Amino acid sequence: MNKEWNRRNFLYRSLVGAGGLALMDFLNSDLQAAASSNPLAPKAPHHPAKAKSCIFLTMLGGVAQMDTFDPKPALDKFDNTVLDWANEKRTDQPELYSKPRLILKSPWKFAKYGQCGMDVSELLPHLATCVDDMTFVKTITGENGNHPAATFLMNTGLVLPGRPSVGAWVSYGLGTENQNLPGFVVLPDYRALPFSGSQQWGAGFLPASYQGTMMQWKGDPINDLRPAGGLNQKDMQDQMALLREYNHAYLDGHFTNPDLQGRIDSYELAFRMQAEVPGVLNLAKESEATRKMYGIDDEVTRSFGTRCLMARQLVEKGTRFVQLYTPSQSWDSHTDILKGHAKNAKEVDLPIAGLIKDLKQRNLLDSTLIVWMGEFGRTPDHPADLRDKAGRDHNTKAMTMFFAGGGTKPGVTVGATDELGWKAVDKVYRMRDVHATILHLMGLNDMRLTHYHAGRNMRLTDTGGELIREAVA
Amino acid sequence: MFRIGFVLAIAALAPVWAAAEDQVFRDQIEPILKANCAGCHSGSQAQAGLSVANLADLLKGGKRGPAIRPGESKHSLLLQFVRGEQNPRMPIGGKPLAEGAVAALATAIDSMKANSQQSPNKDYASWVFTPPASPKIPALRHAASTATLNPIDAFVLAKLEEKGLAPAAPASKRALLRRVYFDLIGLPPTEDEARTFLEDGSSGAYEKLVDKLLADKRYGERWARHWLDLVRFAESDGFAIDGERPTAWRYRDYVIRAFNNDKPYDVFIQEQLAGDEMQRKPAVRGGQIENEGMLALGFLRMGPWERDANFDAQLRLDWLNEMTGTTTQAFLGLTVGCARCHDHKYDPIPQKDFYRMQAFFAATRIDERPMPFLESEGRLKMRQTLRGLEDKQEAASEQLKTLEKELRAKLAEAKKGSVAAGDGKTLEVENLQRALADKESRAITADDRKRHKELTENVQKLTLEAARYQPIAYSVNEVAPPAVLDIEPTYVLAGGERSARGAVVEPGFPQRITGNSDPAKINFLRYRSGRRLALAEWIASPANPLTARVMVNRIWQHHFGEGLVRTPSDFGMNGDRPSHPELLDWLATQFVEKKWSVKAMHRLMLLSNTYRQSTSHPDAKQIADSDPDNRLLSRMNWMRIESEVLRDSILTLSGSLNHEAGGPSMFFGVKDEVAQGFQMFKWYPSDDKAQLRRSIYAFQRRSLSMPLMEVFDTANMSESCSRRSVTTVAPQALTLLNGELSAVESQRFAARVIELAGADPARQIGKAFSLALLREPSPAERQKASTLYEGRTPQDALARLGTVLFNLNEFIYLE
Repeated sequence: MNKEWNRRNFLYRSLVGAGGLALMDFLNSDLQAAASSNPLAPKAPHHPAKAKSCIFLTMLGGVAQMDTFDPKPALDKFDNTVLDWANEKRTDQPELYSKPRLILKSPWKFAKYGQCGMDVSELLPHLATCVDDMTFVKTITGENGNHPAATFLMNTGLVLPGRPSVGAWVSYGLGTENQNLPGFVVLPDYRALPFSGSQQWGAGFLPASYQGTMMQWKGDPINDLRPAGGLNQKDMQDQMALLREYNHAYLDGHFTNPDLQGRIDSYELAFRMQAEVPGVLNLAKESEATRKMYGIDDEVTRSFGTRCLMARQLVEKGTRFVQLYTPSQSWDSHTDILKGHAKNAKEVDLPIAGLIKDLKQRNLLDSTLIVWMGEFGRTPDHPADLRDKAGRDHNTKAMTMFFAGGGTKPGVTVGATDELGWKAVDKVYRMRDVHATILHLMGLNDMRLTHYHAGRNMRLTDTGGELIREAVA
Repeated sequence: MFRIGFVLAIAALAPVWAAAEDQVFRDQIEPILKANCAGCHSGSQAQAGLSVANLADLLKGGKRGPAIRPGESKHSLLLQFVRGEQNPRMPIGGKPLAEGAVAALATAIDSMKANSQQSPNKDYASWVFTPPASPKIPALRHAASTATLNPIDAFVLAKLEEKGLAPAAPASKRALLRRVYFDLIGLPPTEDEARTFLEDGSSGAYEKLVDKLLADKRYGERWARHWLDLVRFAESDGFAIDGERPTAWRYRDYVIRAFNNDKPYDVFIQEQLAGDEMQRKPAVRGGQIENEGMLALGFLRMGPWERDANFDAQLRLDWLNEMTGTTTQAFLGLTVGCARCHDHKYDPIPQKDFYRMQAFFAATRIDERPMPFLESEGRLKMRQTLRGLEDKQEAASEQLKTLEKELRAKLAEAKKGSVAAGDGKTLEVENLQRALADKESRAITADDRKRHKELTENVQKLTLEAARYQPIAYSVNEVAPPAVLDIEPTYVLAGGERSARGAVVEPGFPQRITGNSDPAKINFLRYRSGRRLALAEWIASPANPLTARVMVNRIWQHHFGEGLVRTPSDFGMNGDRPSHPELLDWLATQFVEKKWSVKAMHRLMLLSNTYRQSTSHPDAKQIADSDPDNRLLSRMNWMRIESEVLRDSILTLSGSLNHEAGGPSMFFGVKDEVAQGFQMFKWYPSDDKAQLRRSIYAFQRRSLSMPLMEVFDTANMSESCSRRSVTTVAPQALTLLNGELSAVESQRFAARVIELAGADPARQIGKAFSLALLREPSPAERQKASTLYEGRTPQDALARLGTVLFNLNEFIYLE
């Protein structure tokens, strides 16, 4: 790249000199600048794909599959009994399983929905109306039953911190469509940020340009979008004009440094972002009906709903990857699942259904891949001494997730768990398979998406993931 | 725009190919390829640059690399493509090859002898794994006399002459001044310092300046940062709790002292790996034993640590793996991490070697060891501060207790009046806590609640603070002294899985370096296994082929922007090849000869003409074509100041920088919404003055960096970072234009300018430029700046000008 740049730069300068006017023309050509120096300029995918953007809905804490999408009648049969687990070694959390445990039937009733006849529990009445647009995978397995490690695995493919997240890899592979907005936006819930904070959406060893940009849904969406010193419009314009002037003058005689130009461009982008970004958050321009779809005006659904709506606005404007988080550990119902899951389901059910329907009515669902998952699933049983406030514990052996849109096969369910919903038994997939599938749907081949680091070509899927073929249209 | 593109320059030498291999090609491979592939992959328009016309073309390969690897069909791209393991499956658009044909290709390729006779990789391996011998300083054609040159220049010029290139002219004095200040102390010179140098016409002026800066205490603060990047220094555990490591700062100060005192690098290594096992005589200072070994061991503790892990055994294994990986990366420049699970694909490091290295740590456990403060750590001050904090903490606890007593009485009073009176439990603390949490409670007012929260937080805060002044070293110890013979055996683990135990291994060094797989000779010490010491001594030895080369390359990298090897922690097969191997060897041997003195290396490099060159070159076109990445150093590389230097420099210009050195870290201010997002710890910002300390003293919490650091490519605290990326993104512009730092410091800068320059706007503008850029403004710049005064007070106009100067390319880049 450097070589290209130097040569171009040199040729350009030797042709027209460094005269101010010609230089300004050159700068004004956005495309030229984007193609040459912008790490986020759109890049061609490895293969044609439908999904242009991805919205990743992260259910932190881990959702109980047998209470949402994976009904297990056997749990009713064995409810409140001790089952013999001796034939299976439950080595993932020895402390947990050293005490006697009781089976817990689902407190919620299931019914079949849609033409595909998908089972959904009464916890998620709104999502139940979208099943014909969704693709379920019931057999995602993890490696580590701890929240942070499992969240790292879900986000980066490794249970340890320090690796690039899916969103960073996708931005690295594809760039982004709108140069006035970040390519990878993260919308966490400020009541409780995910463990390890920004490392969950970091760029790891990839250049920092690909890291997630956290946006807030209250106040300014991006840090430092407005000056901290209370400057007025004229102050900002004067500063910008003077900076531009001085920086351009400094280009003269210093063209061995292509970064000087890159940095000038970055200020122009920042200036444009100041104009563009506040518009993304303009909820006022959305119709009453839309606000209702997302539950913006209801206190329970406002947080997740507002962020779902922001996600749609961002995707509409060309942002490549948007990741939403529920509050840290929100789904983590070790005790009193009745209350815990009910609360969390209520906060996200309507907004997500609204997002799917809204994208569909705007013809954006095909080009937008929705991914819904937590860091792991939950167990069919619980410690016996907690019967009166029963919950479910972490389970890396099975989790249900769903996709919607973006070239997935709608109305399909992939894989099956055992009788109790504890363990994936048919068509078992790993996190890296989910990653390979996301990349594939977005036009990237997980084996080819590499970055040289620490002595080898690193990948999101390490030695490669398996495409969840059944889920792909 | 951002520099990730170091070029992997693995020269493709034409192999001398045996006739037998050609025969295999003609008989078994060519017919299949001719029928199926040659349509697209031949001639001048060969797709993807790959021609299948003959064996040499296949070996040369196309855009994706060599099409076949003799002897390894599985790793041959040709096979991977026709099998559909790579996309798109070949032949593209046609029917997949018949199974028989694929099998025939595989057999043919496997039957070929792997050709390694003349491989450049082999030559490189034999160089890099052999200790450097001092190479001859090259004679030059054009230079009058090689003897008068700094040998570095001789090596560099020799390569330039080969390419017919000339070096650049010397940099201007001003450029050199800024370069060397930022390089060595990470701060801009003051106006006086600048004047002294710029006006000193004597021939030794520059040399004098270099010596002055090397003796400056701020040099250690600057260079320690490079080392801390490498050892993934942090003051918290990471993971869910991200708990504080209250005395981890002592390791940071140890590193700063080591650089300032020019601690010999071999000692520096040994202390960090085996500071508790070293047999050397401790230096005596003021009657107190100054043995820093215990603090240096913090190196082994700096990785992330999952405090609430479910599984102690797994946690320990993760720790041992991390330590093994970081040790080899930092000191040996080898990435052995891959060998944890399998034999290294690129480097001659079998899986067994990873575990043989890991076995050196098998007797090590984490430990927070009592370690009195050293004289150089300000022993007396530490003790006094601790005592002061403990007193305050006691008083605060008393206050809290008194309040709680009051509140309990209030509760009891309220209960008495209520119907439910008579329940004996009402007076317990638990109920007080419940009442405090219950916003509906009538007995406890909002005021009570606020006061209780304040007092509770005050106790918490003082407890946290006191812990940072405890005389404890964040360190390691032996597993079970004195029973060192019972050290747990180390197993080779298949796939790195704890349960998949294979053979037991003894501690040993990588066989590729030692030439054998014998166990290392380890002398048992009293109460200690001596394992880490054996490793430390082997690494810190002139006979080790990597140690000195890796370190001089790191020093070079920070002075010149890029290393002679541009993958500074990867000297392995897959790493970059050195641009000047002889120079690297010469520097490495000098390093050992100069008793591993880092400062001697600085002097050597900084006094070279190569370092003193301009970043511009008269034959710009020629060098852009023949050496676009400036590997041959025909000019100086441009450098951008890093996030820490940027912040410290702005604070310097505004006169705000607090130079207080050493001790517990400062806690910078964070936005409320960010602070509230953390459940596992409370973040109490330090007082305003402390917040203005140098960035190296900012608390390093893994889950929370200063916004400016995060956006300007600071090191990731979870993994060893040998080379920061330099990205240019819009959020940097937003932060530096609009952020808190610029807003506050531009106002202080303005006030300072007015104080120094008086009321005359022309003088003010001149002063602002002179402080920030060490030069006068041009008439045009002056005129533009003066327009800021229209409709603004001088204070406001100068604050705007200050913000612009902080954001200038000329300020942030070093010529």
